[in-house]
Amino acid sequence: MANHTSTQAAFENQPTWAGGRSPFNVSYGKLMMWIFLLSDAFTFSTLLVQYGTQRFSNVVTPITTKWPDPASIFNHFPFMHGLHLPLLFVSMMTFILILSSVTMVLAVEAGHRNSKAEVARYMIYTILGGVAFLSCQAWEWYTFIHEGARLDGNTFGITKQGYDHLHSVGFGDHFEWAEGDRTFGPVPFAALFFIVTGFHGFHVFSGVVINVVVYIMTVRGVFERRGHYEMIEKAGLYWHFVDLVWVFVFTFFYLI
Amino acid sequence: MEFYNKPGDYDAINYVPHTESHGTKELWKTFWLLLGITIFDFVIYFVMPASGFRNFIFIFFGLVKAYFIVGAFMHLKHEKISLALVILVPMLFVLGLISGLLYEGSALEVMKSM
Repeated sequence: MANHTSTQAAFENQPTWAGGRSPFNVSYGKLMMWIFLLSDAFTFSTLLVQYGTQRFSNVVTPITTKWPDPASIFNHFPFMHGLHLPLLFVSMMTFILILSSVTMVLAVEAGHRNSKAEVARYMIYTILGGVAFLSCQAWEWYTFIHEGARLDGNTFGITKQGYDHLHSVGFGDHFEWAEGDRTFGPVPFAALFFIVTGFHGFHVFSGVVINVVVYIMTVRGVFERRGHYEMIEKAGLYWHFVDLVWVFVFTFFYLI
Repeated sequence: MEFYNKPGDYDAINYVPHTESHGTKELWKTFWLLLGITIFDFVIYFVMPASGFRNFIFIFFGLVKAYFIVGAFMHLKHEKISLALVILVPMLFVLGLISGLLYEGSALEVMKSM
């Protein structure tokens, strides 16, 4: 890259928008990644708009056919069968994704120092974090479907009896649905859960694939020969975006 | 084609600005912050009864988390302000749309029960 400098300097002395240089002072690839992420953010926003409208036109009440309190449904934890542990598993998933975001950004930082071994190591951690998250999500889906969730219906309409039953058990107590606790609820509940977490999970999966490709390129010395590790930054931008979307999925689907 | 293709020519497509490492201190600080907010959310969920105000807290801290992820992890705080605005301003409008439709959702519920 060093022999670019003389010709590059001629462009950099020009005014910002005179052409021939990046007015944002980022590379073409990184700018395109940002624009892709903006468009992807719009895509997720349409899903959240749909969710928000459905959710708040079926507000939680102890009456049947209303929107169920999500934490009372996603209250399972692996190897702790039958215990009422709302929000615990999904908080752990959030923690895994935040942690893999940190290892990703550490890989980017190592790339700035052209440290190939460190980039490779942190990329491995990031990939492991992604795979762990996907496994958690698979388990979450399995449990939810096992409990009766379907795309075209919702058996999680909580009756008055079910509502009282749920609120009589404490954190970590034994809980099992009783006869008459549940009836049919608003159809979009399970469908929106599957669509939004599925869409997000697919992004995580693509992110893992991208990270694996970038890891292989690192190990084979592609970026070392190129003289910079910008590709790690671009993969990192995508990976952090996936984390960002999860922040909102966590907030809207589990907390609210 | 003989257009900016030889190695050594200035090439707008392959141009990559040199980036310096800012160290890992800010990154770890951001990590602890994000973890702290997640634990805070978890605690609030159990100590506060469900209400509009609690939802507001959750959304507010969601936005705080988003600020730190985009600012520190995605490095937008250190990019040119013009790039940050191009990305953030449309999202502000989208946020307006989402909050507007949450409100309309409640109105829809009233209409459905009429």
